[in-house]
Amino acid sequence: MAAARGSRSPWGQNPFGKGVTAMRRSHTALLRVFSGAAGLLAAFGSLLLAGPVGASTSSKPPLVVGISMSLSGDFSPLAAPQLNGYRLWAQTVNAHGGILGRQVVLKIADDASNPTQAVSNYQNFISGDHVDLVFGPFSSLLTIPTAPIAKRYGYAFIEPSGGSPTIFNEHLNNVFFTQPAPILSSGNEFASYILSLPPKERPKTAAYPTVDDPFTSPIVAEIQQRLQAAGIKTVYSKTYSTETVDLSPVVAAIVAAKPDLIVSGTGGADAVAEVNGFIQSKFNPKYLFFTGGPDDPSFKNQVGASNVNGIFSTGDWFYQDKTAGNAAFVKAYVAKYGGTPATIDSAAAEAYAAGQVVQLVAQRTGKVDNATIIKALHRGTWPTVEGNLSWNAAGSPNGEDIIVQWVKQQLVPVYPPAVAVTSPILKPPWGG
Amino acid sequence: MTAAPRASRLRPSGLAQAAAFVAVLVVLPIAFPAQWLVNLFIFTAMFAGAAMAWNLIGGSAGYPALGNGAFFGVGAYAMAILTTHLGVGGGYLVFAWAIPIAIGTAIVFAPIARLLLRTRAAVFAVLTITLLFIGQTLAYNLVSLTQGSLGMTLPSPSFPAARYDQPFYYAMAGLLALTMLFCWGVRNSKLGLALNAVRDDEDRARGLGVQTEMVKLFAYCSSAGLTAAFGAIWAYYISFVFPGFAFDPILSLSVILFAFLGGVGSLSGPLVGALLIVPVQQYLAFRFGASHLYLIAYAGVFLLVIYLLPNGIVPSCRQYLTRLRRLRSGPTAPDASLLVSNVTAGKSQ
Amino acid sequence: MHLFVQSIIIGVLIGGVYALLASGMTMMFGVTRIINFAQAMFAIVCAYLSYSLFTHFGLDPFLSVAILMPMMFLFGYGVYTLLLRRLGKAGPAMALMVLFALGIGAQGVTDLVYGTNTITITPSYANDSWVVFGFQIPVIRFFAFVMAVAVLGAFHLIRQHSKLGRALRATSQNPAAASLLGVDVQKMSAIATGLGFAAAGAAGPIYGLIFPFTGNSQYDLLSKLLTVMILGGLVSMPGVIIAAVFLGVVESVIAATISPDWSSFSFLVALFIVLMVRPQGIFGGHRMQGALW
Repeated sequence: MAAARGSRSPWGQNPFGKGVTAMRRSHTALLRVFSGAAGLLAAFGSLLLAGPVGASTSSKPPLVVGISMSLSGDFSPLAAPQLNGYRLWAQTVNAHGGILGRQVVLKIADDASNPTQAVSNYQNFISGDHVDLVFGPFSSLLTIPTAPIAKRYGYAFIEPSGGSPTIFNEHLNNVFFTQPAPILSSGNEFASYILSLPPKERPKTAAYPTVDDPFTSPIVAEIQQRLQAAGIKTVYSKTYSTETVDLSPVVAAIVAAKPDLIVSGTGGADAVAEVNGFIQSKFNPKYLFFTGGPDDPSFKNQVGASNVNGIFSTGDWFYQDKTAGNAAFVKAYVAKYGGTPATIDSAAAEAYAAGQVVQLVAQRTGKVDNATIIKALHRGTWPTVEGNLSWNAAGSPNGEDIIVQWVKQQLVPVYPPAVAVTSPILKPPWGG
Repeated sequence: MTAAPRASRLRPSGLAQAAAFVAVLVVLPIAFPAQWLVNLFIFTAMFAGAAMAWNLIGGSAGYPALGNGAFFGVGAYAMAILTTHLGVGGGYLVFAWAIPIAIGTAIVFAPIARLLLRTRAAVFAVLTITLLFIGQTLAYNLVSLTQGSLGMTLPSPSFPAARYDQPFYYAMAGLLALTMLFCWGVRNSKLGLALNAVRDDEDRARGLGVQTEMVKLFAYCSSAGLTAAFGAIWAYYISFVFPGFAFDPILSLSVILFAFLGGVGSLSGPLVGALLIVPVQQYLAFRFGASHLYLIAYAGVFLLVIYLLPNGIVPSCRQYLTRLRRLRSGPTAPDASLLVSNVTAGKSQ
Repeated sequence: MHLFVQSIIIGVLIGGVYALLASGMTMMFGVTRIINFAQAMFAIVCAYLSYSLFTHFGLDPFLSVAILMPMMFLFGYGVYTLLLRRLGKAGPAMALMVLFALGIGAQGVTDLVYGTNTITITPSYANDSWVVFGFQIPVIRFFAFVMAVAVLGAFHLIRQHSKLGRALRATSQNPAAASLLGVDVQKMSAIATGLGFAAAGAAGPIYGLIFPFTGNSQYDLLSKLLTVMILGGLVSMPGVIIAAVFLGVVESVIAATISPDWSSFSFLVALFIVLMVRPQGIFGGHRMQGALW
């Protein structure tokens, strides 16, 4: 009876005690279970080998592309548009006869935002399903462990979302990051813009809050370095962990320092939280820059349409870009997935560009095997919706990102002047 | 409490089964050399071993450790730091580092374990979870050592591509066999009995003269060390560590699930649990992840296990087979141990 | 100094919300000895539901609490009666697993229905704030705190001054004796579970007003709640409330004045130290003998 043993723990009777004392030494059972499990294993093995049913009516074999996507877990909110981009590309290219007469078939697996699963997915794709090509997963964090696998088997690794310096430091010649600039340079243009302002308009003090992850802190650090060297005083420079939900203490500390300029490394939700925090604190900095977030389609709704004007961000793609195939891409995306051009997430364009790159290799070389792709992409420029891409030996792209700003409640490119749709504006007070 | 028959320690059939098990481990990648299968074997062996290591503290000692992922992360980072800062180099030699990492983790953890083991049940459980998050925070913040949120890459060895996974598999399988041997040794010793006594009624055990402090400490530290070893090999295989990945709460809970599924107090239970779930889970994510049903399916399996097999598979199988054998051999005098098992299994519900 | 006080204000206000959620778990634990590992997820489910009510019917989230609380009470009652009751003697350990699995399943459902993007509930007053003695007090957080106090007060009244409350307290102190005195222990357990879930129904919409949330937010919230419960002593309501406010304040002050990177860490270390010195938590009674109401 539980009462007799009440002196032990809040759990009353030993929670693990049930059934344990009823054990026997039955080694036969063990062997039977073990072989049963091995049988199950083999059965699953054969199931894994059976790929999905793909209808292919052309006489040439389909071009199978394996992609590991973060459909669940931490990265899943940001990865969903990427899948849309891939699917739209496959649909578009197939409608025009496929690649070299072969219909494109996408094989998608979930990696649950987990490197163990991502590694397994690519192993399964390459050595199990023997896919023709692979594209990279979402996030640098998953690209870093999986790129070497592709390299081992001689597969090209065209990847749309791994731009962290760690990847390029691995010096893998099969990696190609389909954005105009690596993460480190994303903020360069903003620093250039600030430094291009006449001394009277230039901010005197700056705050540098950032979330502690590899996509944002390098950008903020780069900007801080350049601006500090030019004499802009740093009045706040702290990191907060990715798990942080409550940013009000961070906002309170920034507001207390009264900076002219805030360069904030954010992923998305935290940009919203920070803007809301500044509004609640009735604090309006002269210049406000977020590495990520203002370009999310839901940003305007979440902070209020009257509050967005003047906020800067950076990005690799915007629907107004006059890059190769972009107008058609935007139109087709809205037709297939709804929404407006302004609600298209750049992750979709990044994925679409990956597909375009493969198409271009096929057009220019007449072949689409991995060795050809790897060799071809190291030379010349490759026009995509993301711009004219070219890479160095380690896969790092040679271009620059664009600075955008919310002007008249629209997000438009404002710097460098060559790509600007309009000039940058001064930040109005909240609600203006 | 049933006394496990000690005479069975070195039964010939026991040795034969051990030999068979080792033989299967050795032959597996030779019979199935395809890299994606060896990859699956690697992770299955890893989870099975980590689950068995958990069983030492969670099953045998009855202390619900919910944060064993902390040791996995420590092992992973230890391996990363050794290969990067000390330039230990990539190759076969790196595998050997798993052993000193295991021993080192166990020793360094001992004073912390001592403090943790002063608490029990729910308090202990939550403290182990906080241990996991403390480890993760340190990995993020001690930037000069761990490169913080940028993560650390490990050198990739130049094994031939067609059989690249094999050495990693043998390292994991070797660790698994070692863990199994260790757990078996503990079970069949006085230490094992003492642990069971702690699990069943710690205060009474102490009153009877059992060295509960030392025994618990040994179980927890060895659990920590073994788990760290698996983390070290994992880091080498994935060749990248990041605080959020290396210190993973899902791993902490998965090993508990495997142990529960297979049978928490049994030797092979965690192994069986891992063998069943790991391939299934990888398959689900690979084939069905695209439909968001992955999480729902996982929850469903969890609930099924708890309601249909509350004792876990291995003990349930044993009970079933025992009953079968009894039926076959005809009605005999009531078996005293069977009576005991019926009473302690709480048949009253 | 100003920043220091401002951060304390922030911490106290948010502590109220954690206190509400954790007290639901405490109440359930006191009677059933089960820690609700799904509390965080169901708070988030309620945040989602409140979001839907707001976007489709324009119902203010604070008002939606009136709908969600009774709904969650019935749900909790059902969960206990159908799922937890039959776990029998090994109940608490298994129940933990069952509830956790339920939470994971719920996350799968919300991912499916709402997607995995983070959302916030944004009524017109979302960013309003008052300035009191030079310190700014966001309107939403203030009302969230008031709501939390109100619900906690209601729970307290029920426990201390009603027949039901007496039965609940009796069950948590000594289930065997209570049942001998005619209390239906299983029914009390179901009611306590219902009340625990109802707390999630109240706290969920407020959480959704203050923070951007998604299914994955449950893990961070859950770990906060667990640490608060343990620190507070598992069965003591005052203890849990104090622990929750303590958590809010420590994290807020450290994040604002020292470094956000170390704020959770500092709290965890504080927790460690307290539990080393007093393993039963701040207000924990000796081995569950007598709840400390």
